Amino acid sequence: MKIAVCAKQIPDPANEVTYSNGTIERPEEQVLDDTDRYGIEVALQLKEKFDAEVTIISMGPSGTQKGLQQALQMGADKAVFVDDESLKGANSLMTANVLSELAKSLSADIVIFGTESTDGYSGTVPQQVSRYLDLECISYVKAVEINDNVTLTRQTVEGSEKLNMPEKCVISVTAGGVEPRYPNFKDIMAAKSKPIEQVSISDLSINTTQNLEFIDIETVENSKSGEKITDEGEAYQEIVNKLKELKVI
Amino acid sequence: MKTLIIGEIINNNLSSGTLEILGKAKSLELDVQVVTVGSDENPSIGVDLCKQTYLKRQNNSLNLSKAATKISEIIKNEEINLILGSSTYMCRDLISFLSVDLNSSPVSNVIDFDVASGNVSTVNSINGGESLYKTKINSDQSLLLIRPKAFDPVEVNFNDDFETIDLDGSDLEVFDIFIEEKSGPQLEDSKVVISAGRGMVDKENLELIETLASKLNAAIGGTRAIVDAGWMPYSQQVGQTGKTVKPDVYIACGISGATQHQVGMKDSKFVIAINKDEEAPIFQLADLGIVGDTLSVIPKLNDNI
Repeated sequence: MKIAVCAKQIPDPANEVTYSNGTIERPEEQVLDDTDRYGIEVALQLKEKFDAEVTIISMGPSGTQKGLQQALQMGADKAVFVDDESLKGANSLMTANVLSELAKSLSADIVIFGTESTDGYSGTVPQQVSRYLDLECISYVKAVEINDNVTLTRQTVEGSEKLNMPEKCVISVTAGGVEPRYPNFKDIMAAKSKPIEQVSISDLSINTTQNLEFIDIETVENSKSGEKITDEGEAYQEIVNKLKELKVI
Repeated sequence: MKTLIIGEIINNNLSSGTLEILGKAKSLELDVQVVTVGSDENPSIGVDLCKQTYLKRQNNSLNLSKAATKISEIIKNEEINLILGSSTYMCRDLISFLSVDLNSSPVSNVIDFDVASGNVSTVNSINGGESLYKTKINSDQSLLLIRPKAFDPVEVNFNDDFETIDLDGSDLEVFDIFIEEKSGPQLEDSKVVISAGRGMVDKENLELIETLASKLNAAIGGTRAIVDAGWMPYSQQVGQTGKTVKPDVYIACGISGATQHQVGMKDSKFVIAINKDEEAPIFQLADLGIVGDTLSVIPKLNDNI
């Protein structure tokens, strides 16, 4: 079984996202998107049961490759990435086009994603990749049971439903779906010798265009700066009064 | 502009998200039709405002990709230029599939859009609503995923006047379909919402919130952090990756107010926030902020309401 897991390197989420010409500014050192840890965890659980090969696929400025290293530290076998100036500010479809080509080049049977990145959160790339690959997409997976069969539980608007994972498909895993593992010292050292390979965009068949044109970013004054009271035991009374005034009680 | 809305069924009628988008499309005087995807047997989803087509799927298999292929056909036959859907699980899947078929990248998380001289432009909210990101779409077909509550819903009379197209099932069999019991006020339409965050410290403390919610006839929500921790089902998550709420009163209990959460609640009419940390970003959105321990404030509220 060959598994490709998408991992995105993003600016440290502790810092506010900044934009330049409508595109997120990316520092040299980016970290692994926590959202992707769930997908990586599912891949690693599959690997433990079925002896699969797990390859990280990624697109974007590679920089110090810290985020890719973090993905390898969790236990993935290798990483391939595309980093090209022409992909700066790539829309979701272009991103999916590139990632599906990478998955194809690896002959991946199963392609796994988080549901949406923390910095761009378009939430469409897993489904787009499945369409490019002509595979079914099992989206919003919130639980995985691995026996001889793999049973996936999907989140739906009304509740949930279960499916058996087919031999080939694309999966997106919701945050909290599984418990991502923490690498230990040995894992961290082992990751250093794992291969990270750059793929040239000219080796991929990309037919998407930048159909979305950035116009403007406008700042809105959000601050309400309402009343702020420090509780010294009686602040609940302020809430009660306010709820009465608003006719909630 | 010829426009297609991907409709969704909730409680046998069109979802509120669908009606909100229809309201906006009507206000822009777009030439609109609705294609609704669902598995209900006899829904009442015809509307007196425009053409309605029902793509009926089998609920015992996952066949959204087949639904998308059918919608692609309709888009080509009817020469549709604008495709709109609500940011729900199903529409996100469908619009993503369509974007590949039409080779046009969609715009997600849209909170407003306009059509002028054949061009579609969109507005997104970024950085937790601190900034608005504006985009112009340069392709023959524009695909938009619209956040719930972005527009006012249109008033419609539902009828049974629509064409039904039966979709084939797929090999991907679905089983153990679980429908969450919905009791009490729901997040989407409750006038009061109480949400819990990490400041509630322990899952057991959510009982305090439940007591308060029953006194105020409020719906209960939570942050991504506590949903991830397994304290609440995903369906109760408020925020970027969860639900958008717009109640008259929103009470944030032990929530710091990460941008991911703010997106889902910032349009609430009156926000009450209780948090130990005076610097918590939630206070910037609060009309009434209480700097204090949620676990000591809520019991007193429960005793005095």
